[in-house]
Amino acid sequence: MTALESAAGGTAVMDHLISFEVPGGELRFGEGDLDVWAEHLVWCYSLLGVAEGSTIAVQDFGTSPLAYLGSDLLMPSLERGVAERMGARIICLDASPERIVLTPEVVRQVKPDVMIVRADVLGLLLEGSKRSGVNLATIGGMTIVAACGIDAPPLPPGPWQRLLHVESSLLLAPQCTLCGSYHLREGVYRAHDGHIINLLHPDAALCEAPGLRVTGETCSLGPNDTLVELASRGGGRPA
Amino acid sequence: MSATAPQQLCDGGTYDEIETWSPQKLRDWQFELAREVVADAAESNKFYAERWRQAGVDATALSDWNDFKKLPLVSKPDLVAAGDAWTTRRGRVAFSTRGTSGEPLVVWLDGEESQTYFVPTMRGYWWAGFRSGETALMQSPAWHRLAAMEGHSVLKMGGRAAYYWGSGNPQYADYFVEAMRRVRPQFVTTTAPFLVSLLRRLGDDGVDARELFSSVHSMISVGLPLTPPLREHLSEGFGAEVFERSGTQEGAAADECSAHTAPHIHADVCHLEVLDPLGEPVAPGERGRLVVTKLFAAGDPVVRYDTGDIAELFEDPCACGRELPRLKIYGRPESSVMIGGRAVTAYDVRMCVDADPELVGRMVLLVRDTDAGPGVLSVAIEGDAHNADELEKRLGEDLGVEKVAFYWLGNARMAWGFRQVIDISEVQR
Repeated sequence: MTALESAAGGTAVMDHLISFEVPGGELRFGEGDLDVWAEHLVWCYSLLGVAEGSTIAVQDFGTSPLAYLGSDLLMPSLERGVAERMGARIICLDASPERIVLTPEVVRQVKPDVMIVRADVLGLLLEGSKRSGVNLATIGGMTIVAACGIDAPPLPPGPWQRLLHVESSLLLAPQCTLCGSYHLREGVYRAHDGHIINLLHPDAALCEAPGLRVTGETCSLGPNDTLVELASRGGGRPA
Repeated sequence: MSATAPQQLCDGGTYDEIETWSPQKLRDWQFELAREVVADAAESNKFYAERWRQAGVDATALSDWNDFKKLPLVSKPDLVAAGDAWTTRRGRVAFSTRGTSGEPLVVWLDGEESQTYFVPTMRGYWWAGFRSGETALMQSPAWHRLAAMEGHSVLKMGGRAAYYWGSGNPQYADYFVEAMRRVRPQFVTTTAPFLVSLLRRLGDDGVDARELFSSVHSMISVGLPLTPPLREHLSEGFGAEVFERSGTQEGAAADECSAHTAPHIHADVCHLEVLDPLGEPVAPGERGRLVVTKLFAAGDPVVRYDTGDIAELFEDPCACGRELPRLKIYGRPESSVMIGGRAVTAYDVRMCVDADPELVGRMVLLVRDTDAGPGVLSVAIEGDAHNADELEKRLGEDLGVEKVAFYWLGNARMAWGFRQVIDISEVQR
């Protein structure tokens, strides 16, 4: 039984050690709670095709789970983050404009295998990269994953993979490399009446997803997952 | 590590016994640590081994600090160029420097090194008054190496860690305010520019900052050096004591005590030198370039690394009674302008500006203007003109500036970030 499965009852966070103040709410975590989500993020990465041992650059705010679940070195009470579970290395890039301008040079030095980019700043990143003569979209072998909210604006054209990411709902749903739909992982989320419900974290806000469509199909990478598509611009299926 | 670590005391304001050691005992102990680190790097790190071999230094047989000083300085371009030859230990998490002086340096962190920094972080928090059972509201753990250790330290001290959303950019002030209301922390850690912008923003919005911060007894300010008047301004405005924390991604770490004379160096993890352009230690009271050596054989070694920061060491006794030397980092060559052959930092100018109670807390930027002529300081100051003649006189007396070109920014509200120098073309825009 995985940590995720054992936590599937969704116990209330009674005595938290850590809290993240996110737009629209607060997420509190007690001892061991973060590991459940680190394991889930690793699962997301596996559906996105991220290999064990990858070097993963995260261009997002440090209070995003994409960043803080990266390693036990970043977060107290996290026993094993993404780096420890996948044998990966994590590069913290932050999503503030003054940091984004540094990214092309950091990428040139470190040559990450994967770059997870907050969708809001993808345009800024591409612009800065172009100015510094680096085309991130064509750097050999590097996969770029845009972490999009439900209502994200359209992404600039490019070969991006996508990860649905809503902080207040602690929603992390990858767009499957095999079937192309977003996987709402079994036991973690449930789609209901235009909403996505987080089944594990009691603080997670109900995620409104008006354009949500359950495809009714199945995928061998998660046979019991709920596969969904979004009619919204940013989170939907790429053209 | 063969050198015995200092014992934890947690007695009153004293966190551990290193604070009570004499300067000689501290120097001797640091030398033992430095010798181990250098020997380890000579054996395990290709970059340093080759560098020292080329310099003809036997790094495995240092007998005193004079031998240590024979080790050549290394710079950021050296480490960037060395790449994998320097980063041999395969740390799990990387941070980059700000890249204000060209290319950013990517610094990896591993578990052992992270653990090493918990004690100094806890010491700094202890000095600033953090105690078991309290909640610290902090910046994200991923923006800086030292920030990554703060959450761990807070939990180890029996506290809770709360993180506010976004970055230290003032555009996230609303989220910070929301977090303050919800969390009601006793302790806050954030950047100096953010605190300045927040205080101004709360005033504009008619929010009582002291009421909002009524649960907070202490704040740690990072990212920029505080002038004494600015520290007072923030402490008064928020109704909480403000402590300066400083350090570098490459391993320097220092925290202020309640005497607020300058941050004390955490001498158990780093040996810091301040050197003149010839590589010799500067005389007391003089500024020089900050050179960092990490004092533990974990992570990628940093030995005599010239950060480029302009800094000053204070080795005279601190009013708090601690013998740990103190260090003030004033800025970088890139955040200063040359006036009459002297590097004038943004901090120096802020010292003169902040001396006027009507001006303290305003954003101050040095303006790089090649047409201004020698001896002319160009400076942009937020808000309307105020006591410009007196300010020009102070700048002349304190900094040797012959003439000042002021650019009063009026109501042009700007985010006061880490950037301290702008080009004249940006002001004119």
